[in-house]
Amino acid sequence: MDPVRATTAVLAAPEVATGAAGRDERQVAVSGAVRADLEVIFRRDYRQVVAVAARVLGSRDQAEDVAQETFLAFSRSTVPAEDATGWLCVAAAHTALNLLRSGRRRASREETAAAVHPVVSDVAEAVVTLEERSRVRAALATLPRNQAVALVLRHSGLSYADVAAALDLSPGSVGTTVRRAESALRKELNRHASSD
Amino acid sequence: MRHPTEGVLRRLLDEPAGVADADRQHVADCQHCLDALVATRSDAALVGAALATDADAGVDLDDAWQQLTTAGPAPRPERAATPARPARWRGALSRPAAAALAVGVVLAGAGTAAANDWLQIFSTERITAVPLSTADLVALPNLSAYGTLNVTAQPDVHEVPNAAVAAADTGLAVPEVVRLPRGVSGDPAYQVGGKASATFTFSARKAAQAAAEAGASLPAPPAGVDGSSVRLAAGPGVAEVWKSATGVPALVVGRAVAPTAYSSGAPFEVLRDYLLSLPGLPDKVAEQLRTFTADGSTLPLPVPADQVSTRQDSVNGTPATVLETKDRTLAAVMWVNDGKVTVVAGSLSTGEVLKIARELQ
Repeated sequence: MDPVRATTAVLAAPEVATGAAGRDERQVAVSGAVRADLEVIFRRDYRQVVAVAARVLGSRDQAEDVAQETFLAFSRSTVPAEDATGWLCVAAAHTALNLLRSGRRRASREETAAAVHPVVSDVAEAVVTLEERSRVRAALATLPRNQAVALVLRHSGLSYADVAAALDLSPGSVGTTVRRAESALRKELNRHASSD
Repeated sequence: MRHPTEGVLRRLLDEPAGVADADRQHVADCQHCLDALVATRSDAALVGAALATDADAGVDLDDAWQQLTTAGPAPRPERAATPARPARWRGALSRPAAAALAVGVVLAGAGTAAANDWLQIFSTERITAVPLSTADLVALPNLSAYGTLNVTAQPDVHEVPNAAVAAADTGLAVPEVVRLPRGVSGDPAYQVGGKASATFTFSARKAAQAAAEAGASLPAPPAGVDGSSVRLAAGPGVAEVWKSATGVPALVVGRAVAPTAYSSGAPFEVLRDYLLSLPGLPDKVAEQLRTFTADGSTLPLPVPADQVSTRQDSVNGTPATVLETKDRTLAAVMWVNDGKVTVVAGSLSTGEVLKIARELQ
């Protein structure tokens, strides 16, 4: 069994009073078993969680949906506050990758992504076309899960130590994991380029 | 000595202070590893660019909080995946806020966040290019290994509809391009960013630890340096981006309030010189940096000497630095005037970017 799903099942279990008939599940989540620290953590980390999901999905709308779901799961959890940022980022990455892999993305999403206008902060970005962005994201879904998550977290600005802690890796192996993911994505782009 | 692993090379790009001194030195002296490093950086830059997003910039926190806490379609809980196990976490931010937007357009081409960390400790009145090799760049230590880096304001980069809004949002005179070069047409997209700020507090304890990990001992800090803070600020800034038909930025014109540094403890020059003396910084680079004006009014601009050539020129009487990639695919000119840095960059020749720069209104 996928350890991610297994953990989800445990964390989603009885910490929330889901038996309140007729009430919206989300309302239950945040009013019945609300964490006292939820709003503080939400306001501190929500943008970063959206950014992590957006790196996977290329769409702000979908990224916000993922962030909402992630915080809902978090609100039911007993994750210590000091672990919250990492937990949220990893959860968002997994959820976004699940969404990407499930094929539920609409074909129009990449156009939506184009409207997000990535920040031009590196000369290297000038050589990446929208089509390549789309191919890289499609290839993300085919990577081993740990590679994909490590890659997304690293490119979201998390340190090697943070990525290592989140994925239960040694800090020394984070570079290898990220490097292999980048190499695989580059090969995917080259494969398309040579077949064009 | 055997070559460092591909993972070590990858970390060199992001966190050189996390790599053993022996490995750094090996890479600096080994053409095989330098070649591998170039390929590693190229892949990292390509993937980073493909995944780049500013989707979080337009997030409305109040609206999002409202959405979480009020009625809405109940999501299926199983869709929210969770990490394999909650783990210990330190602060997630290991890099300072993006520096001035316009500066970043060119500087980030150097491909090293560590270099940018160092840049921000200098206020800017004039730009001087420091030619650095790739080996020099990767050997620059990350400031976070020597203290606490606390980001106090994010630039919140977002797009605005026109120049008037950009000017109102940033308080900057938005440069107007009089004549577009051949091959560039249409209206630009306007991106603005607010002021970014961060505080770096030097810690002798952390610095000693970093030095020990690098196999060196920490030079004794001058009086008052331990615990000294430097407040780094950059922005606001505005960038006008003309894209080609394929979506590739063909021309970027940016202007931003230049980065500045304010020391709250020891005099800035003392702290700067001490930082420059710390283990991990190549002697050659330290020597170059020491030649800059003692009042910190020059921005050393590290560029990869193996990829970019630089020369001095002028824009309407103001000294300017002209940069061009050695494959001549990208050129840029940047200058500082009245505390503001302006950059013109694009898939153009140096002659074209200079012409645009000199005609800006």
